[in-house]
Amino acid sequence: MELLSILTPLFFGLVAAGTVIGIIFGAIPGMTATMAVAVCLPLTYSLGLENGLALLLGLYVGGISGGLVPAILLNIPGTPSSITTTLDGYPMTQNGEGERALKIGITSSLVGGLISLAALYLFAPALADFAIKFSYIEKFLIIFFALTVMAALSNSLLVGIFSGFLGVFISLIGAYDISRGGNGELRLVPEFLEYYLESGFSLLPVLIGLFGLATILIDAEEGMKEGKGLSGVKIGGKPFKLSVFKGQIINLIRSSSIGTFVGILPGVGGSAASILAYSQEKNFSKNPEKFGKGAPAGVIASESANNGLTGGALVPLLSLGIPGDSTTAILIGAFTLQGIQVGPLFIGNNPVTWDAMIIAMLAANIIMFLVMVLAIRHIAKVVTVPKNILFPIILMMCVVGAYTINYGVMFDVWTLLIFGLFGYLAHKIRLEIAPFIIGFILGPSAEIYFVKSLESFGTLSIFFTKSWIAILLWGLIALSIAFSISVARKKKRMSSGIDDQA
Amino acid sequence: MSFDSPFHVTVDFNTSHMIFPTIIAVILGILFISILITRGSTILATVTSGTWWPAGIDHRRFFGTIALTVIYFLAMPEVGDLFPNTGLGFYLCSIPFLFALSTLYLHEHSRRTLLIAGANALIAPSVVWYILSELFNISLP
Repeated sequence: MELLSILTPLFFGLVAAGTVIGIIFGAIPGMTATMAVAVCLPLTYSLGLENGLALLLGLYVGGISGGLVPAILLNIPGTPSSITTTLDGYPMTQNGEGERALKIGITSSLVGGLISLAALYLFAPALADFAIKFSYIEKFLIIFFALTVMAALSNSLLVGIFSGFLGVFISLIGAYDISRGGNGELRLVPEFLEYYLESGFSLLPVLIGLFGLATILIDAEEGMKEGKGLSGVKIGGKPFKLSVFKGQIINLIRSSSIGTFVGILPGVGGSAASILAYSQEKNFSKNPEKFGKGAPAGVIASESANNGLTGGALVPLLSLGIPGDSTTAILIGAFTLQGIQVGPLFIGNNPVTWDAMIIAMLAANIIMFLVMVLAIRHIAKVVTVPKNILFPIILMMCVVGAYTINYGVMFDVWTLLIFGLFGYLAHKIRLEIAPFIIGFILGPSAEIYFVKSLESFGTLSIFFTKSWIAILLWGLIALSIAFSISVARKKKRMSSGIDDQA
Repeated sequence: MSFDSPFHVTVDFNTSHMIFPTIIAVILGILFISILITRGSTILATVTSGTWWPAGIDHRRFFGTIALTVIYFLAMPEVGDLFPNTGLGFYLCSIPFLFALSTLYLHEHSRRTLLIAGANALIAPSVVWYILSELFNISLP
């Protein structure tokens, strides 16, 4: 009954509003679902947890889905996760099948979203039940594992690990948290900043700086060029029929499952999910030569995988307290704002919120499908909204978000600027932002788990001998590093092969 | 933290706040040196060839964005102090900031584009200020 009192018209109205705004963010190249969630977070302050999550989850689903519009119509991925949608979507547009490609993508997105939602509903509570038994040692190793997985899937293992540890290091700035058993002493803080940095840098201004201001600075550096217009793009043409999915059920299920699985891996973005699903479909296809020339199967694989990510990324967040991607990292902010800690106890202690989240995700997927199918021609026009209008508004919203997170601290606004500049610098020197963020979020917990384990057991060997789970986690850590080294070697061999041929 | 034997350690609670940062700093140092060793030649080639930052970037828009943002951040609390607890520091500073940034990003300065930029600079902060400060009572600078 308590759940029914939450499912008000306002709740569904917020899901719908979030989904539509998310689609618009996703459809504009350079703006992402992460940015949408970061910018709209301050709006949730006075909404309460469930209503706030309804808005944010709508933004998340809409933001991931909207990326297919410019990918298909303009050959520009609206979000990184729709990168492989361009490969077959744009050729379809060139063949006069733009609307058909869009509707194939939208339907695949719906299926991907629903399959991942089912996975979330089934796996998150089970994983949380299992994780409740974890001691500080297993929890520390899970964070270590999360960092190595992310680093392993980065462009360079070393740079990925370095970025993750840099995030951990910066998260340690401030006092060693007394409320979690620390001694309350300050470290890594210059004397003149002691007043401001006693609790370290706040998470949200850091995230807003990295995803909001840094994106704008990168675009400003390139001259804020307006993208291609829609003139000359044929949206109409061959009509969309559901029969296009005949023979594609396995592709749909496999790609959605790949997306969900990649989402569960901490810190791995949607681009990895869609690339993996696309290449798998191409490998299994009877007509691989058609890929890249306008094969609907390519659009289906890419779009079902990137929406499969949405539910998957929430699994580690809600069961372990570890965000599955950068957007879910910002969702942590929404929980913190309402005084709720996500982790193994979250689902058991907050069953109504958990059910409301599932319903919000379901509603967001359905609303996304209906809005995009019915209004795709209007949404397509969004890609041409001028940046000189949008970006200043976004920057203003970033300021609002940073300022209000701690109920009015101007230093948080400066934090936004500091990390905006850092994000720009990281982009220039090719540091990996995803491992950095996960390191920053999990750093303080990792410290407590590590130091308290040493205080209790007095030996480093306990990290290897505590339980079979610890041994399993070390095995997984070794596996992820070995995987990364093997991929790096393969890449090196391929590039030297290409050089030889040249 | 002191090592009694290769694996056995004793943690001093008074200095326990430095254990983890020290370990992470050492790991970062090792990783940094490893990156220099393994990718040193690539880094050196990038540094010696090509142009140095900030050559080749849009100076006006890039540094203009930073300068306007810093001025905006400095001005907000100052103006806000003149009208405490009203959010007017945010509102009154956002209007010129949005207009300046919009025109900075414009590629074609026509009467129409300037009018749109002006309307945007007036409407967007008004809506945000009214919704957050007046309706939701959220504190703004």
